[in-house]
Amino acid sequence: MAATCTGVSVPRSHIWRLRRRGRREQLDVARLQKNFADVAAHGDEVPLFFYSDLFIRHPEVRDMFPISMEAQRGHLVDALVRIVSNVDSTADLTVFLEGLGRDHRKFGALADHYDAVGASLLATLQYFSGPSWTPDLQADWTAAYELIGSVMVGAARADEQLRPPWWRGTVVSHERRSFDVSVLHVQPEPALDYAAGQSVAIECPSRPRLWRYYSMANAPRRDGLLEFHIKLIDGGAVSMALTSQTAAGTEVRLGAPIGVLTLREPLPDRDLLLVAGSTGLAPLKAIADQLTMLPHPPSVHLFFGARRADGLYDLDSLEKMAAEHEWLTVTPVVLADPRFRGETGSLCDVVSRHGDWSGHDAYLAGPTQMVEETAARLAATGMAQDQIHIEDFGWSER
Amino acid sequence: MTTAWFDEQNRMSPEELLSVSFPISRRGRRGYDEESVQEFLHAVHAQYVRVLNDRTSLWQEVQRLRRRIISGQPDGEANGVPAGEAEGHVHAVRVLSAAQVTADRYVADAQAYSSRLTEEARLRRDEIMQEAQRYSDMVMEEAHTRAREAAVTALNAAPTPQTYQQQQAARAELAYLRTYGDVYRAHLRAYTEGILRGIEDWERKESTFEEEAHGAPMAALPMPESNGNGASPPVSW
Repeated sequence: MAATCTGVSVPRSHIWRLRRRGRREQLDVARLQKNFADVAAHGDEVPLFFYSDLFIRHPEVRDMFPISMEAQRGHLVDALVRIVSNVDSTADLTVFLEGLGRDHRKFGALADHYDAVGASLLATLQYFSGPSWTPDLQADWTAAYELIGSVMVGAARADEQLRPPWWRGTVVSHERRSFDVSVLHVQPEPALDYAAGQSVAIECPSRPRLWRYYSMANAPRRDGLLEFHIKLIDGGAVSMALTSQTAAGTEVRLGAPIGVLTLREPLPDRDLLLVAGSTGLAPLKAIADQLTMLPHPPSVHLFFGARRADGLYDLDSLEKMAAEHEWLTVTPVVLADPRFRGETGSLCDVVSRHGDWSGHDAYLAGPTQMVEETAARLAATGMAQDQIHIEDFGWSER
Repeated sequence: MTTAWFDEQNRMSPEELLSVSFPISRRGRRGYDEESVQEFLHAVHAQYVRVLNDRTSLWQEVQRLRRRIISGQPDGEANGVPAGEAEGHVHAVRVLSAAQVTADRYVADAQAYSSRLTEEARLRRDEIMQEAQRYSDMVMEEAHTRAREAAVTALNAAPTPQTYQQQQAARAELAYLRTYGDVYRAHLRAYTEGILRGIEDWERKESTFEEEAHGAPMAALPMPESNGNGASPPVSW
């Protein structure tokens, strides 16, 4: 995901320059990795110690994190594992760290915080290394962290020139479309530039410091308004707050837009197949919306699936769109519902029943299983991999 | 594992312990139950992590005592209070860690509770909808039957010229059927409204619950929350 963020990057020569200065000779990668493995064997105690150490030294930093730190500790360990195991493949690591640096802007991370984090990281490693902690190890870790910090800070600084750390969003309307799906319209301030199909992280006031990604369901509009489709997840902190506590006037925060499920320019000379399961509709509706603005859009067939008929929460709007544009066909699909008069069955079955799609470009979004099944089915019927487009959640989803 | 399992020089880490695999037992002879072996390995892993952590604490304690001896402080001076800034800091870190773990547990409990509540609400909604559907089917079926009977009666009566009395009877029957239809319609409407009131009431309760829970934000989910329309947030230092 980091790789897709537009424009900004720290020169790749960054790490090489350090190497040329001869510091690379001192940095013993194998020793560093061995030490990290030993420390990581202490399990959850390690991130627990790290955050407590950080918050005691710098109480003001605590406010940047959610109440529960459980998920946070997992994220920290995962990021460290990824950094330490990739420490010698500099290109991949740089892309990852740049993304991480830009991403941390919305949490309010400043250059000063990086020093604080570095000090606590060193203290944690030292504490858990016990007798095996040596001045050489300390020097290696210090050098490694300086490098990590400087790449992250560099990417964040470059990003500052281009966009704010986050956008203020004011909820303009909240429609409850079904038992568990709400449609929100949000006015961002300042204007938010994005590509149809991308998503932003949303933080709402009643769940501070918890960010969740949602796709815009419309192409960029002149008035800047964003449409979001929010599905209530049982026990889901943010989705529950968004579906039941937001009303017109609620202010939320929006992170920078990300995602690769977008139309490639120039458009290939192929017709489009869009397959959406549940609120996976949002990015695909945005793509269809974008096409309505083109002079000669390709032919588009959109399949919109849900478990039951009442899950087709946005069918009215889609049918209106199809009535206005003869190049757009919308087929609602319901998994199983004896009363439903349209297509029934799993999305991938219904889509393949509808004929040969090998000459199309396919865009898929929805529950992971549905997307994977449909992608596999399309590939099996002769569609080339580069014709099948799905969101790459990269390192943010495991 | 090709070498000896416990060798002081190259100790096995808790992680390596979990990845141990055993050869499949010879045909005709049943090996251990795989699940039990895994369960045991997890238990050993947890014990191992604890031992490692204890060892680290003990090492810290040894260092502390050693420093104290070197600095010539008489033993037992700082009775129960950690001596020196470093020890005080580690003590504070431990206290804060324990507090954080407690907070995490509270949030996890609240989240599990809210999850259960929504699941139950979903089930109840399905039950209510099914019941309503059944009831409306029943009413429709009965109305249909009555109408068919009335039509058949009317048809049978048609060929014979109708006397004034027969006409009166047919009118009465028609009036009766109209009333009957009205009653059923009213009945169905009242029933549907009752269900709607029930749902509104339940939504009100839900939002009251939400407001009460307002002060205690819930934990991030381990899974992506936006159901394919997004991903879990890449939050990490």
